[in-house]
Amino acid sequence: MSNTIDPVTLEIIWTRLTTVVDEAAATFVRTSFSTLVRDANDFAVVLTDRQGRSIAQSTKSIPSFISTMPRTVEHFITEFGIENMREGDAYVTNDPWLGSGHLNDASLAMPLFRNGELIGFAGVVSHLPDIGGRLRNPGNKEIYEEGLRIPPMRLLNQDRADDSLIRMIRANVRVPDETMGDFWAQITCCRTLGENLNVLLGEAKIDFDQFSDEIVRRTEGAMRNAIEELPDGTYAYAIENDGPADFPGGTVRIECAVTVDGDELTVDYAGTSDQVDLAINTVPTYTFAYTAYALKAVLAPWLPNAEGSFLPLTVTAPEGCILNPRRPASTGSRAMMGHLLPPAVFGALAQIVPDRVQAVPGSPVSSIQIAARDMDRSYVLNAFIGAGQGASRNKDGESAISFPSNLSNATIEVLETLAPIEVVRREIRQGSGGAGTSRGGDGISFEFTLRGGRATGAFVVNRLRSAAAGLLGAGSGSRGRLVINGEDKDPADLYTLKEGDRVLIQTGGGGGYGALEQSSS
Amino acid sequence: MGTFQIAVDIGGTFTDGVLLEEDDGAIYLAKALTTPSDPGEGVATVVADLLAATQRATGEIRRVVHGTTLITNTLVERRGVRAALLVTRGTEDCLDIRRELRYDIYDLEATYPQALIDRGDRFSFGGRMGPAGQIWRPLDRAELSDCVQRVCSGGFEAVAVCLLHAPVDDRHEQSVRRAIEEVCPGLPVSLSSEVACEIGEYERMSTVAANAYVMPIAKSYLSTLEARLDALGADGTLDIMSSNGAFTTAELAARCPMRILESGPAGGVLSAVNCGLEEGTDKVLAFDMGGTTAKACVAVDGKASLTHVFEFGRVKRFKRGSGLPVVAPSMDLIEIGAGGGSLATINALGLLQVGPQSAGAEPGPACYGQGGEAATVTDADLVLGYLDAKRFLGGRMQLDVPLAREALNAVGARIGLDAEATAWGIHDIVNENMAGAARTHIAEKGFDARNFSLVATGGAGPVHAVDVARRLRIERVLCPIASGVGSCLGFLAAPARSDRSWSKVESLTSFNHGDFGTRLEEAGESISEDLAACGLGKEDILWRLSAEVRYLGQGNTVEVLVSSPALTAPAPECVATLFEEEYARLYHKTVPGGVPEAVTWRVSGSSKSEIKHFRLGMIAEDTSESSGTRRLYRPDVKRFEDVPVYERYAQPPGRVLDGPLVMVEPESTLVVPYPAVVTLLGSGAVEVVLRGEDDG
Repeated sequence: MSNTIDPVTLEIIWTRLTTVVDEAAATFVRTSFSTLVRDANDFAVVLTDRQGRSIAQSTKSIPSFISTMPRTVEHFITEFGIENMREGDAYVTNDPWLGSGHLNDASLAMPLFRNGELIGFAGVVSHLPDIGGRLRNPGNKEIYEEGLRIPPMRLLNQDRADDSLIRMIRANVRVPDETMGDFWAQITCCRTLGENLNVLLGEAKIDFDQFSDEIVRRTEGAMRNAIEELPDGTYAYAIENDGPADFPGGTVRIECAVTVDGDELTVDYAGTSDQVDLAINTVPTYTFAYTAYALKAVLAPWLPNAEGSFLPLTVTAPEGCILNPRRPASTGSRAMMGHLLPPAVFGALAQIVPDRVQAVPGSPVSSIQIAARDMDRSYVLNAFIGAGQGASRNKDGESAISFPSNLSNATIEVLETLAPIEVVRREIRQGSGGAGTSRGGDGISFEFTLRGGRATGAFVVNRLRSAAAGLLGAGSGSRGRLVINGEDKDPADLYTLKEGDRVLIQTGGGGGYGALEQSSS
Repeated sequence: MGTFQIAVDIGGTFTDGVLLEEDDGAIYLAKALTTPSDPGEGVATVVADLLAATQRATGEIRRVVHGTTLITNTLVERRGVRAALLVTRGTEDCLDIRRELRYDIYDLEATYPQALIDRGDRFSFGGRMGPAGQIWRPLDRAELSDCVQRVCSGGFEAVAVCLLHAPVDDRHEQSVRRAIEEVCPGLPVSLSSEVACEIGEYERMSTVAANAYVMPIAKSYLSTLEARLDALGADGTLDIMSSNGAFTTAELAARCPMRILESGPAGGVLSAVNCGLEEGTDKVLAFDMGGTTAKACVAVDGKASLTHVFEFGRVKRFKRGSGLPVVAPSMDLIEIGAGGGSLATINALGLLQVGPQSAGAEPGPACYGQGGEAATVTDADLVLGYLDAKRFLGGRMQLDVPLAREALNAVGARIGLDAEATAWGIHDIVNENMAGAARTHIAEKGFDARNFSLVATGGAGPVHAVDVARRLRIERVLCPIASGVGSCLGFLAAPARSDRSWSKVESLTSFNHGDFGTRLEEAGESISEDLAACGLGKEDILWRLSAEVRYLGQGNTVEVLVSSPALTAPAPECVATLFEEEYARLYHKTVPGGVPEAVTWRVSGSSKSEIKHFRLGMIAEDTSESSGTRRLYRPDVKRFEDVPVYERYAQPPGRVLDGPLVMVEPESTLVVPYPAVVTLLGSGAVEVVLRGEDDG
């Protein structure tokens, strides 16, 4: 066997590997019971080599899962020992620090064997239909309120299911059939991946270790080349969003310093607000994921999500800050911080690549939860509302869009079928984007009335106090608002709604880009 | 001699025509350049050529079946009329808000297609329907009449109406239409409940807006065409091919042009399915590859899979979500590659990459000699010996081998490959990409690729088909006759068909029979009317009633065939059972305790489809066994070898040949680079059965 794989064979096998992973992902989506998996691609399927290095990841997944599965596999290896791993084993955990940042995501991996030898792992991380605890709510103060925590466990031991673990899970979640159904869907997905990988390796006659070395080498090299084009130095930016109502100043602050040193890049978040007694803390893997998302989008958007692409990147945050919290911090609504990291990185990079970044968006994502309070009709409605995107040099920000995540709205006709509400309007908030040589995108006005019974409403609305800043002297976007029956409200509370109550949510506009010339001078 | 039919397909480059003798199935072919400024001219040329070649008179034409890409082009090139959009107050921005999704999360500069109707041309008024069809507030007559006045005096050429919950109850939309007709009779009005009767206001509004945008153009085009055919003396019927694989009347097509957007590709699939049925294959992968696109479609038991939503005008090729959605039943064709024009590049990872960028028709591949310098799939095919420089496009174009080599060398040199190794690399990669996309598509339908036969059409289809099949572990490849005009053969094989659907989310355990019965009856009657216009009697209609069902709490639905061939109202528990059977087939288990709910009901009526047997009307005189040899790259032994070349239409039916070989015909070349048994079938199709492999 030669020492390198020729570039044509490599391209073909790489494409086929991606197909194998995407095929397994398609099976998973169709059988999952989680609406977030189906409608929002809130999952990832990953193939790693025997060291846990990511070789291929399903193409459609949101940024949350960049590089999380390889770390989880490493934890499984540490916990169980690679020498004790057998065909038909499945390891699982939803620990936020070992997985992808909140209990709602379960990470499951199975070792893959070829001719009796362990060659790699198939892994799925996905948002479960339910994991018990209080309903997802930023008000949760400790992780113990947020649901059942599963430390690294063997769900399957050589194809034998661990009935004790299953009974334990079933007893602690609201919809046991659906939650367990998603675990079985994860297992089916890993098995499909393993079988198809074996077919591929049989036909291709390549050495999987050598192949994965080659992928890591090439993706790492491409990322290093992209970094090397940037001028060395440290570039800082800070970004604010609404914090807890009882938090000093009512805002949290992300301090971001990007250091370029040759072909390596470090992002440090020293100076960021301390962790809080609210479920908006984000663990290091999630902090890394959203930081790496921003860097990849700016430096090499075409690069696959393979291990090498992220090796030249280092992300640090002081222990005890909101981006690296100590246990037992609650983390369920981690997106409220994580979604701020891309604009923080963009702001820092604006000093060196001003044509490749964009201003702060009106996000993090806003959402509505309405649950029946009367027993004659039971429903829980969950809906997301996008905002305005930040402007960039060449382009106005998009209005009414999901960024940096990618969550679909539900149509009015579907919302009105699911709950007794009448949507009065879903409109673009004209003029809410920040002014600049390029304008920020406009946010959304979403207004509804309750048409029957009583309901509990929980609303996540961002940027009531801190507007999305413009870049390079441009204007900020408009602030968000939550208005109930004509009065401005604080979204941190739960509200009891009665028939005829009217709720208006306005999401923020994105920041503008580039200062407009002053006409007064 | 008996009566005959003519099929005409207007494509981007060529207008194809086929004349079919009804009594013996003989077909005659013609081709002319498409004439975009007056498309009817190309049609007239083709018809005249066919009549001249067969020495027939126009009066004997019983029927003309027509398909066209012109409506699609009007949309994509945004040459439609200025239309007004009337909506429920509060939803005026729906077309701009879309579903708030990004089609590529890493592309920070991504742009999205503009709505076809500007914000300033959208009007709203009060009046509100609830999700069960209850009237929350009656239409505000004063506002409506003010709005109608503004529309009628605003210089609009068409109107689209989309009100919330209209698929459940269309009373308000009907009132709006009457109000418009009173003030400005003759102004074309499209109602969302008629054009796209499905829940989900964004996709429905997008569809009805597009319908209004092209409706006047479709109408004048079709009436001009009818007049031109009349002028030729052809007084038979004019039928129009729909995207769903059936034909409809010109009048219905003019009213709902969204239904005919994909007529050409639908014809291609029908032709492939017909070929499969003729050869007794119940699972067909239709594979079509031309100069700028490669497509695939799955058909099982003679029925191509349908999709109910597709996109047009994508701002980024191959990116789902980057176009505008249209709700209309269409063949579920997926684009699996960029065709012969796909460009080869070396990417930043130092790897050879093929597509998705394409050289298009101008300047085209390097070997066209039109100034294209980049290597393409066609250049690779030429250097591998898979194409003949002198016979491309039936000899209409001469290919330049040295230019192809030069382009291949330039790309390959960057990764240490010579022209020939680069050529095989490109061919290898593009086939792998197409096979991968097809494999995933088949898996998503719950089938295993290995059980399918591949039917190859399009100029480049037979060049790549055998190797693509091998990668999918498909043993059998079929090449139908006259694949260069495959769409036309499909038109001639198409049944008449009409569809209705309505959405109502309703648990199957608490089901309103009265309302359902009324809906079903209404659908049955209006379909019968449509089909009567196509000359089909009520007693000859083949009915299909299907339901989109899911478990309460799920988002995706599964389509269940409820009643066929008669149209009968089902017992809800029977629908639930059928749903669970289908769910188990797709996902290998059902959901204990799950509550099935129906979301959308679909009714279709069609004429009974039958297998059509076509044969070429003109027989070539040259019956020589082989016309020499060609130096061809054989991937199994990784070297070039001389293999025999056969003239396809010189081979008598029943002849059995051994691959590797090349079989040439005017519009394409069948390349069999592997050991295989190649048989000329009685139907005129060529069959390739790959020899089992030892992976050696």
